[in-house]
Amino acid sequence: MATIETSGLTRSYGDICALKPLDLQVPEGEWLSVMGHSGSGKSTLMNLVGGLDRPSAGSLRVGGKDLLGLSEDGLARFRREFVGIIFQQHHLVPYLSAVENVMMAQYFHSVPDEAEARTALERVGLGHRLRNRPGELSGGEQQRVCIARAIINSPKLLLGDEPTGNLDHKSTVMVLELLKELRAEERFTIIMVTHNQEVAVWGDRTIYLDDGVLVREERTRP
Amino acid sequence: MVALKLIPQILSWAVIALVLLRGFPRYRTTVSAAACSGFALGAAGMLALFRFLPGELCFGLARDVVGGTFLLAWGVSVAAVYRSTGREKAMSWGERIAQTPPFAAALALASGFIAGAVCACRIPGSEGNLLACLILVLAGVALVFAALALERVLPASFTVSLPGLLVLVAALLLLGSSSIIRLDLFAPLTMKVMKFTHDFVHQFFESMLIPDHLFIRPYLWGYIGLLFGKEVGFWGGLVIWFVPALLIVLAIRLERLPQVSHIRQGAARRRVTAAAIRARGFRLVVPVLAVAVLSGAVYRSRYPSVEYWDPKPMPILASPSGEIFIPKKGEVNLEDGQLHKYLFKQGGKEARFFVLMTPEGKLTVDLDACAICKPDGYGQAEGTVICYYCKTLIPLETVGKPGGCNPVPVPFTEKDDGVHLDGLTLINTWSGTIQSTARPKEGGK
Repeated sequence: MATIETSGLTRSYGDICALKPLDLQVPEGEWLSVMGHSGSGKSTLMNLVGGLDRPSAGSLRVGGKDLLGLSEDGLARFRREFVGIIFQQHHLVPYLSAVENVMMAQYFHSVPDEAEARTALERVGLGHRLRNRPGELSGGEQQRVCIARAIINSPKLLLGDEPTGNLDHKSTVMVLELLKELRAEERFTIIMVTHNQEVAVWGDRTIYLDDGVLVREERTRP
Repeated sequence: MVALKLIPQILSWAVIALVLLRGFPRYRTTVSAAACSGFALGAAGMLALFRFLPGELCFGLARDVVGGTFLLAWGVSVAAVYRSTGREKAMSWGERIAQTPPFAAALALASGFIAGAVCACRIPGSEGNLLACLILVLAGVALVFAALALERVLPASFTVSLPGLLVLVAALLLLGSSSIIRLDLFAPLTMKVMKFTHDFVHQFFESMLIPDHLFIRPYLWGYIGLLFGKEVGFWGGLVIWFVPALLIVLAIRLERLPQVSHIRQGAARRRVTAAAIRARGFRLVVPVLAVAVLSGAVYRSRYPSVEYWDPKPMPILASPSGEIFIPKKGEVNLEDGQLHKYLFKQGGKEARFFVLMTPEGKLTVDLDACAICKPDGYGQAEGTVICYYCKTLIPLETVGKPGGCNPVPVPFTEKDDGVHLDGLTLINTWSGTIQSTARPKEGGK
């Protein structure tokens, strides 16, 4: 069963059509890389698939749910239960420690559980940085906190909006290795937007968007 | 006018029906049928009682039954707190029975019966008002159907625990009854608490457990003095009144969360825990509502909507021989069944008294004071006189008889033209009575 199915998916902002009718299928457990220039519609696609925005036309099913038919509450529930997001700008709360940042995601999902949040940080190699605030962490460490925060609620779909965009090569590889390991363990689907071809090849498949149109698709792994 | 007077009782009934239906959502039909039958039976039964038994006895029975539900709420709340400690994890036989349709039907029938009886007590001239009773039953049944429709649109997450349900039903019955002064339970409760405290402290003094000794400093006497105040009954009564609902709140707060250690995935584990916490929060709504309803009942008891007939005492003089004469058909009609107050002054002393014709047609002359309370006087309403100090209701049938909080009778003679009483006897009776009850700063009106 495909995790994501779109048919004629379109998003317009006034006269500007950010995403032109798009047909896409992403099977469960696949790592899909999305490439394209600025303004090509990558983030628009991410926002639609993640339930952060509503399409102007077409159909969109994620995990068997028709997102167009969901109310605002239903959409919020979908995001809470189904999606984890990693941003390029980490969006960590600066005055909370690493473990508290992860617990905040638990709080909005259900109830906080510190022991579980600690375990998640230990899984991403930050067992020694639990009480440090984001300002006291390196960029790579902050991104790993974001990964722990994104996976803490066991999402079926992990969205990465240029998650390695701000990282050096060493940290980038570390983060991607981590995502690879976690995907193998948790079996979630990854959709990752990137400008970097070296990052894109970590996925199973790469699609290329240009001016809101899917122009090319290539399988990076069999 | 009667319909307006019935608003608190009938609204209480509507909420009772709604809560019963939500409490037993699987047995809606059974519960609504039992509730309607109970309401009709209660109203008709009360009407029949009023026909064959004296009014005071009927009101007494109704009051006792409502009081019984309050005691039941007490028992249930204590049991709920005990259960919440988790000492007895297996489902008790009582809880198993409580989930069966016969229990749901019996509870709905009993609640309807009491609510119907309380409503019928509000109908004036219940002795024969068949039409009013019929309209009342129809209104009661219509409200059950309205509750049935409303219950279906309530969110599914709004669940009701059985102890919460029982306490709210008891609270609503108390709200309905507290709006009828002869069924009010809070005022008698405060009176009982006050008398118990006074007697208890008195016994402590008698048995020297509180020694009258110099080492007890004045401020300590100040605290002991509080126990002899009027407010001790009110505050003590409030505690007894609210404890059942508050215990249910506590029991729900103490409820253990479900075991989740067997669930492997953390998010799923937390989801179950969060759902249990949310459900517990919803279950708190009913006992918290019961606290609000009980507060309403206290308000209705303290500030009843009935206006007491309380005429200003008319000054009256004695003849040179010291005899007071009040004509039956003079400035006022003594035989109109209303309380007529008089103020008599002699030699720097004064006495307040009233003349009243009882429902049996006998004239009675009594002090505007009783032998146990501060002489705040009496008012008259709904077949009773009320002691303003302790809020005790005295049925008109018993006015003229000594004892308790009854007005102290004054010797008099009745002749064709009026009542005759001795001024000196009146002054002495008044002085002897208030000597033991009035306080220096607050004496008399």
